[in-house]
Amino acid sequence: MSAERVAVEKKVLSANDQLAAANRERLADLGIFSINLISSPGSGKTTLLEKTVDLLKPQLRLGVVAGDVQTTNDADRLVRHGIPVEAIETGGGCHLDARQVSRSLEALELPGMDLLFIENVGNLVCPSSFDLGESMKVVLMSVTEGEDKPLKYPAAFRRAHALVLTKVDLVPHLQFSMEMAVDNARTINPELQVFTTSSFSGEGLADWSGWLVDNVSRCKRSAEGARS
Amino acid sequence: MHEMSLALEVRSICEQELAQLPETRITALGVEVGAFSGVEVDNLQFCLEVVMAERFNGVACEVIREPGTAACLGCGHEFEVERAPFECPECGVFARGISGGQGLKVSYLEVE
Repeated sequence: MSAERVAVEKKVLSANDQLAAANRERLADLGIFSINLISSPGSGKTTLLEKTVDLLKPQLRLGVVAGDVQTTNDADRLVRHGIPVEAIETGGGCHLDARQVSRSLEALELPGMDLLFIENVGNLVCPSSFDLGESMKVVLMSVTEGEDKPLKYPAAFRRAHALVLTKVDLVPHLQFSMEMAVDNARTINPELQVFTTSSFSGEGLADWSGWLVDNVSRCKRSAEGARS
Repeated sequence: MHEMSLALEVRSICEQELAQLPETRITALGVEVGAFSGVEVDNLQFCLEVVMAERFNGVACEVIREPGTAACLGCGHEFEVERAPFECPECGVFARGISGGQGLKVSYLEVE
């Protein structure tokens, strides 16, 4: 019998993309601005979130989905700040996917929420390939990682709307050029918004939080516009 | 990245397609991988062979590389690129706008 070729043309991640689209629609309908935080392990995602939550809690209703390969340590830390947190333990998985986030959205009290943080698994490669349905991706890079991270791991920087440089209070002790790091990031993504922060000294956290608040307002306005 | 889980997704797409094609046997499979999809081609090839062999006999797995293209932010020129950073050959501006090569899809099946 002769073989017959059948065209398929189906995206391998179409199952994930459909779930991500459903997550995005659900969050948009409720006017919730959501960010997917991506970085190497240890770049300071959880600490930045702890500080950001403390700054924004008086004015916004916040929620967090926190992913880790093993343990709920990050989620436990964030719960202490008095906000709803859903932990995802991937049990070996190197990234969060839209299905896991969809389940977490079920578990969270979404109506009334303004801003949802999704803390991805610490990994600068895989998370950038999986759409979760977030409004924006934000990539973190700590100054101890070296200026060439954006060139080595371009996808995470290319797909992000903003870059948060963390631990900048350590710069005087390092041979790290902030200018070169930002240049490298903008070479990959010229439109990248850059924030330089230190969760330890508090430097730059006001600008970063202000940017989040602006985006929350924009997201609310567009949800109200869609309803009226 | 996570080629084994991608290979399992590919197999599940094949199974969905084969369910529409009764009385046939799959003999070959083509997967198109974009240069910027983040997928390691050799690794995916290996994983596909492993997962397909678990369910089917003698499926030839072809991984087809789709080149990357970028569109210049400055002048709009579109050009083929291998790796970042992308400097526009026309005007020298660094182009971010990747216009092709991010995809990952099951292109075809062969059945008999």
